[in-house]
Amino acid sequence: MFRGLLCVKFANRSTESYHLRSLMKNLYRFHIRFIPLILGILAMGVTAKAQDIEGDVAAGEKLFKTYCASCHKLDKDAIGPALGDVTERRSTEWLLSWIINNVEFRATGDADAIAVYEEWAPQAMPAFEYLKEEEIMNILAYTANPPAAPAPAGGESMAETQVVEAEPSPVPMIVLGIFLILLIAVLARVRNTLRIVKGEDPTTVLQDMNAYRRFLAKNTGFMTVFTIVVAVAFLNVSYWYLMGVGVEQEYQPEQPIAFSHELHAGQNQIDCNYCHSSARHSKHSGIPAANVCMNCHMYVDGSEITDAAGNPKYGGDRSPEIQKIYDAIGWDPDKLAYIEDYEQKPIKWVRIHNLPDLAYFNHAQHVTAGQIECQTCHGPIQEMEEVYQYSSLTMGWCINCHRETEVKVNTNGYYEPQHDKLVEKYHGEDITVEKIGGLECGKCHY
Amino acid sequence: MATTKKYWKSFDELAETPVSQKLAQNEFAEEIPVEDFLGDDNALSNSNTSRRDFLKYLGFSTAAATLAACESPVVESIPYVVQPDKVVPGVPNYYASTYYDGHDFASVLVKTREGRPIKMEPNDMAAFNGGTNARVQASVLSLYDSARLREPMKGETEASWDDVMSSVKNELNQADATGKEIVLLTSSIISPSTKAIIADLSANYTNFKHYTYDPVSYSAKLDFWVDMTGERALPTYKVENADLIVGVGADFLSGYTGQDMAKAYADRRTPGENMNRHIQIETRLSLTGSNADKRIKVKASQQGAVLLHLYNTIARSVGGNALADASLTPEVKTSVEGVAKELIGKKGKSLVLAGNNNYSHEALAAGINRMLSNFGSTVDTATPVYLRSGNDKEVAQLLSDMKAGKVGGLITWGVNPAYSLNGFAESLDKVSTTVALTDRIDETASKFGYKLPINHALESWGDYMPASNVYTLSQPTIRPLFNSMHAQEVLMGLMGDSRDYLSYIKDTFATTVQAAAPMMSWNKVLHDGQVEVPNMYTAAETEAMIDWSAVARDVNKDVSSAGTMEIFFYTKEGMGNGNQANNPWLQELPDPISRVSWDNYATVSQADAMAMDLETDTNSAGAYNGKTITLKVGDKTLENVPVFVQPGQAQGTIGLAVGYGRTMAGKAGNEVGVNAYKLMGADHYSNSVEVSNISGDHVHGFACIQLAHTMMGRKIVNETNLETFMGSNPQVWNELPIFETFEGPMGPDKVNLWEDHDHETGHMWNMSMDLNKCIGCGACVVACHLENNVPVVGKEEVRKHRDMHWLRIDRYYSSDMTEEVAEDEGIGAIDKFAEMEKASDSPSVVFQPVMCQHCNHAPCETVCPVGATVHSKEGLNHMAYNRCIGTRYCANNCPYKVRRFNWFNYQGNEDFADFNPSMDEYGKMVLNPDVTVRARGVMEKCSLCIQRIQYNKLEAKKAGKPIDDGQFTTACAQACGTGAITFGDVNDTKSAVYAAKKDPRAYHLLEEIGTQPSVFYQTKVRNTKEA
Repeated sequence: MFRGLLCVKFANRSTESYHLRSLMKNLYRFHIRFIPLILGILAMGVTAKAQDIEGDVAAGEKLFKTYCASCHKLDKDAIGPALGDVTERRSTEWLLSWIINNVEFRATGDADAIAVYEEWAPQAMPAFEYLKEEEIMNILAYTANPPAAPAPAGGESMAETQVVEAEPSPVPMIVLGIFLILLIAVLARVRNTLRIVKGEDPTTVLQDMNAYRRFLAKNTGFMTVFTIVVAVAFLNVSYWYLMGVGVEQEYQPEQPIAFSHELHAGQNQIDCNYCHSSARHSKHSGIPAANVCMNCHMYVDGSEITDAAGNPKYGGDRSPEIQKIYDAIGWDPDKLAYIEDYEQKPIKWVRIHNLPDLAYFNHAQHVTAGQIECQTCHGPIQEMEEVYQYSSLTMGWCINCHRETEVKVNTNGYYEPQHDKLVEKYHGEDITVEKIGGLECGKCHY
Repeated sequence: MATTKKYWKSFDELAETPVSQKLAQNEFAEEIPVEDFLGDDNALSNSNTSRRDFLKYLGFSTAAATLAACESPVVESIPYVVQPDKVVPGVPNYYASTYYDGHDFASVLVKTREGRPIKMEPNDMAAFNGGTNARVQASVLSLYDSARLREPMKGETEASWDDVMSSVKNELNQADATGKEIVLLTSSIISPSTKAIIADLSANYTNFKHYTYDPVSYSAKLDFWVDMTGERALPTYKVENADLIVGVGADFLSGYTGQDMAKAYADRRTPGENMNRHIQIETRLSLTGSNADKRIKVKASQQGAVLLHLYNTIARSVGGNALADASLTPEVKTSVEGVAKELIGKKGKSLVLAGNNNYSHEALAAGINRMLSNFGSTVDTATPVYLRSGNDKEVAQLLSDMKAGKVGGLITWGVNPAYSLNGFAESLDKVSTTVALTDRIDETASKFGYKLPINHALESWGDYMPASNVYTLSQPTIRPLFNSMHAQEVLMGLMGDSRDYLSYIKDTFATTVQAAAPMMSWNKVLHDGQVEVPNMYTAAETEAMIDWSAVARDVNKDVSSAGTMEIFFYTKEGMGNGNQANNPWLQELPDPISRVSWDNYATVSQADAMAMDLETDTNSAGAYNGKTITLKVGDKTLENVPVFVQPGQAQGTIGLAVGYGRTMAGKAGNEVGVNAYKLMGADHYSNSVEVSNISGDHVHGFACIQLAHTMMGRKIVNETNLETFMGSNPQVWNELPIFETFEGPMGPDKVNLWEDHDHETGHMWNMSMDLNKCIGCGACVVACHLENNVPVVGKEEVRKHRDMHWLRIDRYYSSDMTEEVAEDEGIGAIDKFAEMEKASDSPSVVFQPVMCQHCNHAPCETVCPVGATVHSKEGLNHMAYNRCIGTRYCANNCPYKVRRFNWFNYQGNEDFADFNPSMDEYGKMVLNPDVTVRARGVMEKCSLCIQRIQYNKLEAKKAGKPIDDGQFTTACAQACGTGAITFGDVNDTKSAVYAAKKDPRAYHLLEEIGTQPSVFYQTKVRNTKEA
């Protein structure tokens, strides 16, 4: 009942229905489970094709993404030239010399090397002397044989059937209901048949019900208990409903840009603090400014993103979602330059975690002083394609954590003057936030 | 047997005063505004809505409200597109800057949040005027004043800067070509770059004049110093070197020469061998006079004669030439001779300061200082102060030139002469081109052809030399809110110079400061805000040209020509010269002496009030109502001036504050008080005023915050004199209450009903208020308003005692009736208390800042039915607004009366739209984002700036080190220019507040009731021998 009402609430606040989105989420979660499978198929396909250049394509892909992808793409020119067919254009020896240290290589007077340099000037390629020859061969193997899309048809349909099963279907309930009604009808019929056999008059359903009513009316004790049970149940439901007012757990609004934490924090393992840098210093975790996005997305335009099937998601074009960042800040991805005198358009994110104004919350207090992981409150953010509110953010939830969490009295120099007194006072018990006054009203409300 | 005794509830009832009779008839002090709740009475009775319908509506709206509450709004969160370097949302940035508006000068640190200046703090690296007074504190709100001019205007229409500039340029060039004067009228200018620009401008026109006009002028003093030293500037007064300070009408703790003397004064007020002595001889009870150890009342016209008599007495003693005998009564002469004797005893270590704008007064004071060899020790003429440079004679010349049609173009900047200068508005007709560089369309700009918006101090670059060895910079902390410019750039634009002002300042810096001090870097000056530079002034070898006999003649003539009533003009702590009249914080700040807010008034002595039947009346809600009078000085009259009775005022004199009576300041400042500038001439007093047209009824309502003016013999402010303090045991002068208990005698901190809180582990925040250092200026009150988003409630609410100040500065007068007098003269209890309520005619005055005392056994906590106010481990009394249901039990049970109730939704109620900053589109930007804006129906009070405590604890935790004493302090303590407030952790035995707690002067307010407050006070010690 309570959950049902919650659903109604969510339907109120968003254009998309909560049900539809939870369906999508399940669909997505299902995909995750199949990623290793898909990758396995991918790998098999790749190893089968990698013949011209010997090397580990999977390792090469990883290295390519780490060292090369910021300037090179396989299929088209970026900061540097497209590398998809580089092994066809150049000899392996030439490539090795160029990659390891192109300045030295140019100094030997290689005409091709100088021509390449001049073509792409002023962008010069850095030396990669720290890469082993084997690693470079892996990269070249990858560029020569980029993983092709596997045949995913079976996987796709499996996913859909799985989802249908995952959702509770009303059909069995309806079937059961019809069966029970039929059963009642059959039993009534049987009873009437027996009555006729015994020589009594058959009764109608209405007569039966009247008999029950009279029976109940006589049994005041039963009625009292029944009324109390119903009333308590109603009050209980009302209480929980009212307590849920303003609690937005699992709130998952649609954002202006379909930013995936799963991709950034999960797959790419970018530290939370890289983008949410102010969480360490300030009360706000801070939604990163568009210029922070541009640190990477100046080079990464999303054209390499593949869908679950491994096909380029945007047909090899840049991602329309990343284009939204460019539109906000005024970046021309073709010229690789900021547009002058551009009227910047701030991105209007929808805030998910809304504490009431009367509660003061400070991220730095928890992240830096308390050394709490982001996931403690925000849940498995690295798995969220679309972020939702993981915790209830109610005062009870705050208080509970303050009762249980130990304070870093031993490691933080701030507590040094108080440390001995605290230990003495609590005789070796855990010194929790509560014990240093973390439940006092004024710590959060002022 | 039935009793026939009559019980009475108050002395008033016993005496059957009209107020008590009225109270007895009406249960409620005021009519309950039923119509406000239910609307028009007529409409109500004619309505078709039946009771049933009403219940239906009620039911429906309850259901609708419940449903509506279920739906949460979608909140957008918009980050920067490109986040500026150094800006972290949620973390404040501080920038060193300078505030100077022609009247107040302060080196400040500007606190900005997300690029928005929200507070000014004192710059503690600044040696010269590093403190902030109430006006400087409040000036942040003037930035966000929506009455500011937003676009340049030509006539009554908005125009572009290019248009306006080219047509102003043409008109001025034409006027110049016809041989007429081009005049720039400004307030005092202390900026080297601006002076250079004005010099350039002077070269640009054939007939250019620059006049300096200060509404509250010190021109005559400057004239004297020209004759004395050759430099048109006031000397630096080194109060720190003075063992004895004698002020004659000089309100040197409040404004005066612009040099901040309060800090140096307060530093010498610590009781002990080194404590200074302060004698004040004055007309009205000033802030400075209230702090004096000895105060002598004289009429305004006698101030000069007092100085003359001091001069003569000292001259006879030290072997100088005495002047003509002063025309004073023998009694006054005797007391002046006593002062002279003390001064002679402190030769070389004393300081005499003259008030007013009077050549002779200044000459006599300087003469006395010279005879006492104070030059060089307390009077430093080698480093002149330039904060006042107005020239009355030139301004008078300007007015006659304007009338004669000699002026072709007039540019005003930073002054409002149509409001503050008599005869200005009438002289404007013959000036063809008038340009106002202004922040709003004020009284002057409205009469001008061109109105050009200029930047607020917080939007501007600037360089300043307030004294000859001090250089400061100001830097913008926000982009101009409106389409305004630096005034200097406008002036440069008139010459076709398109440089920006910043580069001009940098050039001036290189050619002046760096030329004198080559090691000085621009970045260091910008970072520090203020630096000491080599003295740029070299004293000229001039012979003093003072006609001493004329001086003596002048002051004696002042006495002989005086009328029966005299008038004295002064500036209030809040309003200053009136340039920030639209600042509601300053309007609501009560005058430290009269405790009246939102008003100015004629102050009269108690004796005069009785003689002329001018006494105030109190209405049943406890608000003062006063009569009004008409004042006439020479041919100038001012009508409907309310009268307020002021103990300590010299009989036969009237005091009147300037800066009020603005008509075009803005919604908050318009029509508040009367314009005293209309009566004021060049000097700050007039020796003859006619009082007429006394209103029959008490037609004027005062918003006076304090009604109890004396302490009624109780130890609220514990006071003693220096002799007792030095010579006897602390128990004699700081007696602590002792209770007899079954366990023997005990102090109130031991007699407990409840368990004690644990205050040993962790922090224990305490605050000490040194009553010897508190001068009552009110900077802390305004700082508290800013820091804590305290609403401004307006005059009508203040009249109902619904002011919201978390921190108030109580002022108590001494009374002639004391317990001892009553005992000696055998006066009964009722007569005694009735007499005790009356302030003395010449009272000594004490100030006591009172805020929530953070009782460790708090009476408020025990009565709250919902636990909204609770105690913390750190010695604070917390107030959880969201728990409060508004029973107000806590306020009733608070013995200190420091709790404030939100009677209205101040940030959403249209009744407060004219003055409450949070009701204003721009004013909202000044709110402190770390403090909740309270809703209607909740109680609030001082939190000891818990947001600062929490923030700085966190900073320490982030850095992994303990909190250092002095790492942070509360808003009031930070704003306090005299160091009266000490805040810190008493569990840190090295902290200043720990030392203050152990000081034998320390006592708690109402200690005997056992509340064990975390706030304590330091006994006031006056440097006197008499009790």
